[in-house]
Amino acid sequence: MAKKKTVRRGGGNEELNITSMMDMMTIILVFLLKSYSAEDISVQGNDDLVLPVSTSLKPPKLAVNVIVSRAQVLVDGEPVLSLVEEADPTTGQPVIKVPEAAKRGAKIIELYDKLVAKAEQAKRLGERAGNDQFDFKGQVLLQCDKRLPFAVIREVMYTAGQAQFGEFRFVVIKGSG
Amino acid sequence: MRKHRTVEEEGLNLVPIMNLVTILIPFLLMSAQFVSLAVIDSTLPAITVEVTQEKEDPEEKLNLSILITPNGFTLTGADKVLPPDSETDGPRIPCLDAGCRSPESYDYHALTERLKKVKDRYESEENVIFVPDGGVPYEVLVLTMDAARDDQEDKDDQGKARTLFPYVVIAAGVQ
Repeated sequence: MAKKKTVRRGGGNEELNITSMMDMMTIILVFLLKSYSAEDISVQGNDDLVLPVSTSLKPPKLAVNVIVSRAQVLVDGEPVLSLVEEADPTTGQPVIKVPEAAKRGAKIIELYDKLVAKAEQAKRLGERAGNDQFDFKGQVLLQCDKRLPFAVIREVMYTAGQAQFGEFRFVVIKGSG
Repeated sequence: MRKHRTVEEEGLNLVPIMNLVTILIPFLLMSAQFVSLAVIDSTLPAITVEVTQEKEDPEEKLNLSILITPNGFTLTGADKVLPPDSETDGPRIPCLDAGCRSPESYDYHALTERLKKVKDRYESEENVIFVPDGGVPYEVLVLTMDAARDDQEDKDDQGKARTLFPYVVIAAGVQ
C-alpha cells in the first residue's frame, strides 16, 4: 500500500491550483488600493465616538487633534480627562459632563495644561523651521461625538481658546446630506 | 523522454506573487479609510474694541446670529432688524415636533429658506454667529451649519450649491 501511494504522488504531478485564489487576491488588492488613504488625519471610531455627517467638502489638514468622545477627552491620542454621566438637576435625565473637580470656572485645567504645552512645542518648531508654513496658527481639529451636549464642547472650545487655539476645525463624515 | 517533457505544459509558479500579495493586503487594510472625512472651519468671537465709524460707512452690517435652543431656531441681526416674514410670527423657527426630541426634528429646510431671503437682501454678508444652548446635541449644530452654509436645492450648471453664510463663528451661548 505504501509503495502504491508513493507512485501516485510522484507520477501524478498534481499541485494546488491557486489561480482562483490569485483572482480573489487581485480583486481585494485593487479594492484596498482604491480605499488607501494618505489623509492627514484618521478616525478610530468606536461606540463612544460617532462623528456627525455633513455636506461640507473641505479636506482636513494637520493640526492638534482633540477628540471628545462620550467617555473621555484625548489630545493627539493621549487621554487627558474622563467625562462623567450625571443626572440633570432640572430634567432628571442623564447628561454627560466634565467633572466639576477638573474645572476652574469653564476652563478644564488638565486640558489647558496639555494644550499650552502643545502650543509652546508648535511655536518652537515653527521658529526652528523658519518658514511661514510651519508657524503656529492656533488651529485645532475637533473630533466630537454627535450625541454630546454642546455644553461639553463649549468648555473644550473655551479651554482651547484660553490656550491660544482660536481656530476650530470640526471633523465630520462627508455625506450627501 | 525529452520529447515528452517539452509537450507537457508547466504551470506558472504563482507562489512568489501570492507571497507579495499576502504581505500587501494587511498593510493596505491598516491604512484603508472606508469613510471620507471633511472639516467645518469656525472661530471663536474676537474680543476686541471695535472702532467703527458707522456714519461714514455706507454699507449696512447685519451681524446675523442664529440661536439654537431646545425649542428651535431664532434669528437675530445685531445691528439691523431682519425683514419680517409673512408666513410666521417673528424670527422663530419652531421644531417640526413639539419638544425637539431628536436632531431631525429641527426644521433645517425652513431655516435655509429664511436665510435665502436674508441673503437676497444682504448679498455681501457671509458671516454667521451660532449661539447654541448648552443642552443642544452637537449633531444639531453641525446640521444647522450645513443649512446656513449653502442651499443644496439651488445649484448652478456646474452643480455648485448657492453659497449663503459660509463663515462661522461660534459664541458661548446662554447658560
